[in-house]
Amino acid sequence: MSDVSSPKAPGTADHLMFRILPHLVLFAVLLLIWEMAVRTGIITSIIIPAPSKIIGAIWELYVTKGTIYRHFFITFTEAVVGFAIGAGVAVTLAVCSALWDPFKRYVSPYAIVLNVTPGIALTPIIIAWFGYGMGSKIALAAVISFFPIFVNTLTGLIQRDEDREELFRSIGATDAQIFRKLRVPAALPLLFAGLKIGLTTALIGAVVAEFAQATDGVGVLMSRFSFQLNMAASLATLLSMTVIGLILFYSMEFLDDRIVFWRRESRGAAASRAKARAWKSRMGQ
Amino acid sequence: MSVHDAIPMPEQRGGLSLRKRRLIIHASIFLGLIALWEICSRLGWLDPLFYPRPSSILHSFWLIYFQNANVWYHLYTTMVLVLAGFIGGSILGIGLGALVGFNAVIRRFLKPYVIVLEATPRIAVAPLLIAALGFGASSKIAIIVLVCFFAPFINTLSGVVNVNEERLELFRSLGASKMQTLRKLVLPDAVPVIMAGERLALTAALSGALVAEFIQRDKGIGSLILVYSRNLNMASAFACIFTLTILGFLIFRGMEWLDHRIAYWKNEAGMERVAAKRAAQMGDLNV
Amino acid sequence: MNVMASQPSKTDSVVGAQGLGKTFGGGAVVALEDASFDIRPGSFVSLVGPSGCGKSTLLRLIAGLIERTSGNLQVHGKEVTDPRTDVGMMFQKATLLDWRTAVENVLLPTEVSRAVTKEDQKNAAELLRMVGLKDFLFAFPSQLSGGMQQRVALARLLQTGADVLLLDEPFGALDEFTRERLNVELMRIVKEVQATTLFVTHNIAEAIFLADQVFVMTPRPGRIAKIVDVPFDRPRPLSIQTSPEFNTLVAEVRDILGEDH
Repeated sequence: MSDVSSPKAPGTADHLMFRILPHLVLFAVLLLIWEMAVRTGIITSIIIPAPSKIIGAIWELYVTKGTIYRHFFITFTEAVVGFAIGAGVAVTLAVCSALWDPFKRYVSPYAIVLNVTPGIALTPIIIAWFGYGMGSKIALAAVISFFPIFVNTLTGLIQRDEDREELFRSIGATDAQIFRKLRVPAALPLLFAGLKIGLTTALIGAVVAEFAQATDGVGVLMSRFSFQLNMAASLATLLSMTVIGLILFYSMEFLDDRIVFWRRESRGAAASRAKARAWKSRMGQ
Repeated sequence: MSVHDAIPMPEQRGGLSLRKRRLIIHASIFLGLIALWEICSRLGWLDPLFYPRPSSILHSFWLIYFQNANVWYHLYTTMVLVLAGFIGGSILGIGLGALVGFNAVIRRFLKPYVIVLEATPRIAVAPLLIAALGFGASSKIAIIVLVCFFAPFINTLSGVVNVNEERLELFRSLGASKMQTLRKLVLPDAVPVIMAGERLALTAALSGALVAEFIQRDKGIGSLILVYSRNLNMASAFACIFTLTILGFLIFRGMEWLDHRIAYWKNEAGMERVAAKRAAQMGDLNV
Repeated sequence: MNVMASQPSKTDSVVGAQGLGKTFGGGAVVALEDASFDIRPGSFVSLVGPSGCGKSTLLRLIAGLIERTSGNLQVHGKEVTDPRTDVGMMFQKATLLDWRTAVENVLLPTEVSRAVTKEDQKNAAELLRMVGLKDFLFAFPSQLSGGMQQRVALARLLQTGADVLLLDEPFGALDEFTRERLNVELMRIVKEVQATTLFVTHNIAEAIFLADQVFVMTPRPGRIAKIVDVPFDRPRPLSIQTSPEFNTLVAEVRDILGEDH
């Protein structure tokens, strides 16, 4: 996808069109069949609204009224802040555990207890503690995004590459240097895998907490529309959650791509070229 | 799970084995935390209305399990839902995954939808499903099916797609039919990955059931927690949560056991068991 | 290259090729060009050469795994179109199925063609004994060393009942000592079952040690540069590798392969 190196063929745009076109056609056909099915009454329009209705609802929510944006922003913020807190605690604890054995020994059981408990179950309690506002949503997002990040980071940090470590020792590296220059980079791919899962779960946490009790956010909007049996608007709201999910996932993917560049061939090539350029300029060439 | 790993083997030192000493430290940390919590609460530093004392949580356990014994019914309701939804979701997920995995055309056209589905918090569809199917068990099960079908789906798909090239070539060189390749190579090869998906699915099923119950607020352990929290009966709410912890632990262990049984070639005990069985089946192989 | 490609008598040739060629990418890459040869029944042929000389391609053509783009190719006088039961193949990796015991892995070829009988099971066990695994009939692949896994793969190859055996660097991933031992056993076993064997390797000494004939192959495009006859009787002792005649042959092959090798 992001192959910067390959020379752009003159027909690239056509080629892209050519690839996407069948998908678009299929999508359009599916929508058409759906629309027909609803109009002819094969599908009950109360339960499954016609695509035209959904598009109308999207138009209203996103363009003419613009109701969605405030809620969108609130849920987005809840998920991101909750994720940041969860990730911060998780990475800190994982690093402590990796560096200090007794810490790992005596803390990890609690992490495991937290893992086997469905984090969602805490929703009512967290709402009682943090109130109906954004606080409780952030807290739930933080709680349920904690574990995947913790376990991935720790797994990454405690995996030992004996050969490489021996190499580091042979050139006289200290423990701190081995940690910084070997173990941390080696843990990064797993850390990012954890962060991606954590981000998704954070969004789930925010939305579920909104279902349970809230005044703002896409979750509230969603349940409100659903219980008014306004399915079209409900689906239009669902779309906003997909958009949040996609934004969060792809921004993490982007970071992963940049930071863990050596795992992707094209990024690896681009990074090595950039490094070569930097070296050349440093050498005064 | 690697958190368990890297714990060194016990060794003798002095009177107590290392293992015993560690157990004592574990226990004292745990009891110390409990005691600290209890004391803070009794001294009034933690409001017992919101942060129930360990002693009152213990008391609530006794209440909900024995004196009132109301938790059993809700626990049972939830478990039935979880099981039904899990089985439904698994069949759907594995079936769809296999179907899509074997068909390159379907795979290509389905990809964008899978990406969108992956990014959407699937649990968010809960209110919609309840509105569409009405209150009651059917909408709850639909929610559970929806949240837990995805992991088996993706894992089956990738398990089926990522068949080892060399083994495929072996099967071709033996002149194996498509059906034989599928039955004797592709499916067994995908089993461990599918099982990993099933583990995730069961956890997701429990979460899905809880969310469905939060919204419907009629019965089940989820609604019980909600009602207790609303009434600020936090001790009982916590007792329910710890019940779920135990349940979650049992689920974890149960799936681990199942995984070891089904993907027997991934663990020593399983290999021994199956080897003995095969040897008994084939009997005397001397010419 | 080969002057007697014209019309060999059928009994003389188990595998015969005339002007055999294979290109990939619509002719962009020539993997094998104009290969002509006849392989006598029961003989052992080594294919030796550097990467890209077409030795694996040739083997896969004979196995019927890929289709030729030019020339003719017969096994037992019949044109090769698909994988067949009278040709068996063994790969560099053991490619055992992790979920099957050794004996079940050996039985796989039989299972693919028909229902397994008690006799088949006994035969499979016998083959495992033959390759030195009598105590490991019910071991799983993950419980076996690399060398033992290749032994199971060899037993599986023999279980096919094929009399043309194609081996694609079968012991290439093993350590030198294991490889030598397995080579000696291979020589004994193929003699015992009277199979015609084609063996791909990039080790010159190994190629000569095992074979009656060595096809020396060169890359770009892949072709058979020369067929070298090895005059020693099979099976042979390992010590033969230190004899002057043997070393002359090594030098000859090395010479054909040029400075690449």
